[in-house]
Amino acid sequence: MLNDYLTPQTVLFASDVDGWRDAIDRVARPLLDSGSITPAYVTAMTDSIAAGGTYIDLGFGIALAHSRPENGVVATGISSLRVEPAVLLNDDPAHPIDLFICLAAVDPTGHIETISELATLLSDDELRASLLAATTPDGVLSVIQRNGTQE
Amino acid sequence: MKFLAVCSSGLGSSFMVHMNIDKVLKELGVTGVDVDHADLGSVARGDADTIFVGSDLADSVGGLGEVVVLDSIIDMAELRVKVRETLAAKGVEIPAGDAA
Repeated sequence: MLNDYLTPQTVLFASDVDGWRDAIDRVARPLLDSGSITPAYVTAMTDSIAAGGTYIDLGFGIALAHSRPENGVVATGISSLRVEPAVLLNDDPAHPIDLFICLAAVDPTGHIETISELATLLSDDELRASLLAATTPDGVLSVIQRNGTQE
Repeated sequence: MKFLAVCSSGLGSSFMVHMNIDKVLKELGVTGVDVDHADLGSVARGDADTIFVGSDLADSVGGLGEVVVLDSIIDMAELRVKVRETLAAKGVEIPAGDAA
Protein backbone atom coordinates (compact mmCIF):
# COMPACT_ATOMS: atom_id res chain seq x y z
CA MET A 1 0.00 0.00 0.00
CA LEU A 2 1.01 3.56 -0.64
CA ASN A 3 1.18 4.45 3.04
CA ASP A 4 3.76 1.73 3.56
CA TYR A 5 6.07 3.88 1.43
CA LEU A 6 4.91 7.45 1.90
CA THR A 7 5.59 8.19 5.56
CA PRO A 8 6.60 11.23 7.63
CA GLN A 9 10.19 10.32 6.66
CA THR A 10 9.59 10.27 2.91
CA VAL A 11 7.07 13.11 2.49
CA LEU A 12 9.10 16.30 2.16
CA PHE A 13 8.47 20.02 1.73
CA ALA A 14 10.89 22.71 0.63
CA SER A 15 10.79 26.38 -0.21
CA ASP A 16 14.46 26.78 -1.08
CA VAL A 17 14.93 24.38 -3.98
CA ASP A 18 17.59 25.44 -6.45
CA GLY A 19 16.31 24.18 -9.77
CA TRP A 20 15.10 20.82 -10.97
CA ARG A 21 18.35 18.93 -10.35
CA ASP A 22 18.24 19.97 -6.71
CA ALA A 23 14.59 18.90 -6.57
CA ILE A 24 15.47 15.43 -7.90
CA ASP A 25 18.39 15.13 -5.46
CA ARG A 26 16.18 16.09 -2.55
CA VAL A 27 13.17 13.94 -3.38
CA ALA A 28 15.49 10.95 -3.85
CA ARG A 29 17.41 11.51 -0.63
CA PRO A 30 15.13 9.55 1.75
CA LEU A 31 15.28 6.57 -0.61
CA LEU A 32 19.03 6.88 -0.84
CA ASP A 33 19.32 7.12 2.94
CA SER A 34 17.13 4.06 3.49
CA GLY A 35 19.09 2.03 0.93
CA SER A 36 16.12 1.66 -1.40
CA ILE A 37 18.16 3.11 -4.27
CA THR A 38 21.82 3.62 -5.08
CA PRO A 39 23.32 6.95 -6.23
CA ALA A 40 23.23 5.54 -9.78
CA TYR A 41 19.44 5.73 -9.73
CA VAL A 42 19.53 9.46 -8.99
CA THR A 43 21.99 9.93 -11.84
CA ALA A 44 19.78 7.88 -14.17
CA MET A 45 16.70 9.97 -13.35
CA THR A 46 18.61 13.22 -13.77
CA ASP A 47 20.19 12.10 -17.04
CA SER A 48 16.90 11.01 -18.55
CA ILE A 49 15.26 14.33 -17.68
CA ALA A 50 18.25 16.27 -19.04
CA ALA A 51 17.98 14.21 -22.24
CA GLY A 52 14.49 15.59 -22.75
CA GLY A 53 12.60 13.24 -20.50
CA THR A 54 9.96 15.68 -19.41
CA TYR A 55 7.60 12.71 -19.84
CA ILE A 56 7.76 12.44 -16.08
CA ASP A 57 5.52 15.54 -16.03
CA LEU A 58 2.14 13.94 -15.38
CA GLY A 59 0.24 17.19 -15.70
CA PHE A 60 -1.35 19.38 -13.00
CA GLY A 61 2.12 20.33 -11.76
CA ILE A 62 3.03 16.81 -10.68
CA ALA A 63 6.16 14.98 -11.81
CA LEU A 64 6.82 11.28 -11.31
CA ALA A 65 10.59 10.95 -11.22
CA HIS A 66 11.64 7.39 -11.97
CA SER A 67 13.98 5.23 -13.98
CA ARG A 68 14.24 1.57 -14.73
CA PRO A 69 14.77 -1.03 -11.96
CA GLU A 70 18.18 -2.08 -13.26
CA ASN A 71 19.46 1.48 -12.88
CA GLY A 72 19.91 1.19 -9.14
CA VAL A 73 16.77 0.04 -7.36
CA VAL A 74 17.50 -2.14 -4.33
CA ALA A 75 14.03 -2.18 -2.79
CA THR A 76 10.79 -0.56 -3.82
CA GLY A 77 10.36 2.92 -2.43
CA ILE A 78 8.34 6.08 -2.97
CA SER A 79 9.00 9.60 -1.73
CA SER A 80 7.56 13.02 -2.41
CA LEU A 81 8.69 16.63 -2.34
CA ARG A 82 6.31 19.58 -2.45
CA VAL A 83 8.18 22.64 -3.68
CA GLU A 84 7.23 26.28 -3.31
CA PRO A 85 7.61 28.10 -5.66
CA ALA A 86 7.25 25.76 -8.62
CA VAL A 87 10.41 24.38 -10.25
CA LEU A 88 10.80 24.23 -14.04
CA LEU A 89 11.52 20.67 -15.09
CA ASN A 90 14.58 20.65 -17.34
CA ASP A 91 14.39 24.47 -17.11
CA ASP A 92 11.48 24.25 -19.54
CA PRO A 93 8.78 26.92 -18.98
CA ALA A 94 6.22 24.42 -20.34
CA HIS A 95 6.83 22.12 -17.35
CA PRO A 96 6.41 23.91 -14.00
CA ILE A 97 6.33 21.34 -11.19
CA ASP A 98 4.84 21.79 -7.71
CA LEU A 99 5.04 18.20 -6.53
CA PHE A 100 7.83 15.74 -7.26
CA ILE A 101 7.17 12.07 -6.57
CA CYS A 102 10.08 9.68 -6.76
CA LEU A 103 9.23 6.11 -7.65
CA ALA A 104 11.73 3.28 -7.34
CA ALA A 105 10.17 0.00 -8.42
CA VAL A 106 12.17 -3.16 -8.02
CA ASP A 107 10.65 -4.77 -11.10
CA PRO A 108 8.43 -3.56 -13.94
CA THR A 109 5.37 -5.65 -13.17
CA GLY A 110 5.33 -5.97 -9.39
CA HIS A 111 3.72 -3.61 -6.94
CA ILE A 112 0.67 -3.30 -9.13
CA GLU A 113 -1.49 -2.41 -6.14
CA THR A 114 0.80 0.38 -5.03
CA ILE A 115 1.11 1.94 -8.47
CA SER A 116 -2.60 1.52 -9.02
CA GLU A 117 -3.25 3.31 -5.74
CA LEU A 118 -0.92 6.10 -6.80
CA ALA A 119 -2.66 6.37 -10.18
CA THR A 120 -6.06 6.51 -8.49
CA LEU A 121 -4.89 9.17 -6.06
CA LEU A 122 -3.35 11.38 -8.74
CA SER A 123 -6.17 10.92 -11.24
CA ASP A 124 -8.96 11.89 -8.85
CA ASP A 125 -9.65 15.62 -9.20
CA GLU A 126 -10.63 16.15 -5.59
CA LEU A 127 -7.89 14.03 -4.01
CA ARG A 128 -5.25 15.52 -6.29
CA ALA A 129 -6.31 19.04 -5.31
CA SER A 130 -6.15 18.06 -1.62
CA LEU A 131 -2.73 16.53 -2.12
CA LEU A 132 -1.40 19.71 -3.74
CA ALA A 133 -3.00 21.83 -1.03
CA ALA A 134 -1.40 19.87 1.82
CA THR A 135 1.31 21.80 3.65
CA THR A 136 2.52 19.15 6.10
CA PRO A 137 3.44 15.46 5.91
CA ASP A 138 0.37 14.68 8.04
CA GLY A 139 -1.77 16.54 5.51
CA VAL A 140 -0.38 14.46 2.65
CA LEU A 141 -0.74 11.22 4.60
CA SER A 142 -4.36 11.93 5.47
CA VAL A 143 -5.14 12.40 1.75
CA ILE A 144 -3.47 9.05 1.05
CA GLN A 145 -5.49 7.52 3.84
CA ARG A 146 -8.74 8.87 2.36
CA ASN A 147 -7.76 7.49 -1.04
CA GLY A 148 -7.01 4.10 0.49
CA THR A 149 -10.35 3.85 2.24
CA GLN A 150 -12.33 5.11 -0.73
CA GLU A 151 -12.24 1.95 -2.79
CA MET B 1 -8.48 -5.12 -29.93
CA LYS B 2 -5.40 -4.04 -28.06
CA PHE B 3 -4.48 -0.71 -26.49
CA LEU B 4 -0.92 -0.14 -25.39
CA ALA B 5 0.25 2.62 -23.06
CA VAL B 6 3.85 3.58 -23.74
CA CYS B 7 6.41 5.69 -21.91
CA SER B 8 10.18 5.88 -21.91
CA SER B 9 10.73 3.58 -18.96
CA GLY B 10 7.71 1.32 -19.31
CA LEU B 11 6.86 1.22 -15.63
CA GLY B 12 5.82 4.60 -14.31
CA SER B 13 3.69 6.78 -16.51
CA SER B 14 2.64 4.05 -18.93
CA PHE B 15 1.56 1.85 -16.03
CA MET B 16 -0.68 4.63 -14.77
CA VAL B 17 -2.19 5.21 -18.19
CA HIS B 18 -2.77 1.45 -18.46
CA MET B 19 -4.62 1.46 -15.12
CA ASN B 20 -6.66 4.49 -16.09
CA ILE B 21 -7.64 3.05 -19.49
CA ASP B 22 -8.80 -0.09 -17.67
CA LYS B 23 -10.85 2.11 -15.38
CA VAL B 24 -12.46 4.00 -18.28
CA LEU B 25 -13.27 0.77 -20.14
CA LYS B 26 -14.90 -0.57 -16.99
CA GLU B 27 -16.95 2.60 -16.60
CA LEU B 28 -18.06 2.31 -20.19
CA GLY B 29 -18.87 -1.37 -19.79
CA VAL B 30 -16.59 -2.26 -22.68
CA THR B 31 -15.05 -5.72 -22.67
CA GLY B 32 -12.78 -7.49 -25.10
CA VAL B 33 -10.15 -4.75 -25.22
CA ASP B 34 -6.74 -5.93 -24.11
CA VAL B 35 -4.71 -3.21 -22.35
CA ASP B 36 -1.01 -3.35 -21.61
CA HIS B 37 1.95 -1.04 -21.09
CA ALA B 38 5.50 -1.03 -22.38
CA ASP B 39 8.61 1.04 -22.78
CA LEU B 40 9.24 2.85 -26.02
CA GLY B 41 12.25 0.71 -26.94
CA SER B 42 10.36 -2.56 -26.89
CA VAL B 43 7.35 -1.55 -28.98
CA ALA B 44 7.18 -2.65 -32.60
CA ARG B 45 4.74 -1.67 -35.28
CA GLY B 46 1.69 -3.88 -35.07
CA ASP B 47 2.00 -4.57 -31.34
CA ALA B 48 -1.29 -2.81 -30.67
CA ASP B 49 -4.28 -1.34 -32.45
CA THR B 50 -3.80 1.96 -30.68
CA ILE B 51 -0.88 3.33 -28.71
CA PHE B 52 -1.45 5.87 -25.91
CA VAL B 53 1.43 8.20 -25.05
CA GLY B 54 2.12 11.43 -23.20
CA SER B 55 2.70 14.47 -25.37
CA ASP B 56 6.47 14.27 -24.98
CA LEU B 57 6.60 11.00 -26.89
CA ALA B 58 4.23 12.14 -29.62
CA ASP B 59 7.05 12.52 -32.13
CA SER B 60 8.79 9.27 -31.15
CA VAL B 61 5.96 6.84 -31.86
CA GLY B 62 4.91 8.02 -35.28
CA GLY B 63 6.02 4.87 -37.07
CA LEU B 64 4.41 2.47 -34.62
CA GLY B 65 0.81 2.72 -35.76
CA GLU B 66 -2.23 4.61 -34.61
CA VAL B 67 -1.35 6.91 -31.74
CA VAL B 68 -3.42 8.80 -29.18
CA VAL B 69 -1.51 11.63 -27.51
CA LEU B 70 -2.48 12.58 -23.95
CA ASP B 71 -1.82 16.13 -22.72
CA SER B 72 -1.87 14.86 -19.15
CA ILE B 73 -1.63 11.21 -18.24
CA ILE B 74 -3.59 11.67 -15.00
CA ASP B 75 -6.47 13.64 -16.49
CA MET B 76 -9.36 11.16 -16.41
CA ALA B 77 -11.68 13.58 -18.22
CA GLU B 78 -9.30 13.82 -21.16
CA LEU B 79 -8.73 10.06 -21.16
CA ARG B 80 -12.48 9.32 -21.12
CA VAL B 81 -13.00 11.50 -24.19
CA LYS B 82 -10.06 10.01 -26.08
CA VAL B 83 -10.83 6.38 -25.22
CA ARG B 84 -14.45 6.89 -26.30
CA GLU B 85 -13.34 8.50 -29.56
CA THR B 86 -10.97 5.64 -30.22
CA LEU B 87 -13.60 2.99 -29.50
CA ALA B 88 -16.12 4.81 -31.67
CA ALA B 89 -13.65 5.08 -34.53
CA LYS B 90 -13.06 1.34 -34.31
CA GLY B 91 -16.74 0.54 -34.20
CA VAL B 92 -16.60 -0.92 -30.69
CA GLU B 93 -19.97 -0.88 -28.98
CA ILE B 94 -20.05 1.16 -25.76
CA PRO B 95 -22.74 -0.33 -23.47
CA ALA B 96 -22.66 2.54 -20.98
CA GLY B 97 -22.09 5.12 -23.70
CA ASP B 98 -24.98 7.36 -22.76
CA ALA B 99 -24.47 7.20 -19.01
CA ALA B 100 -20.75 7.89 -18.80
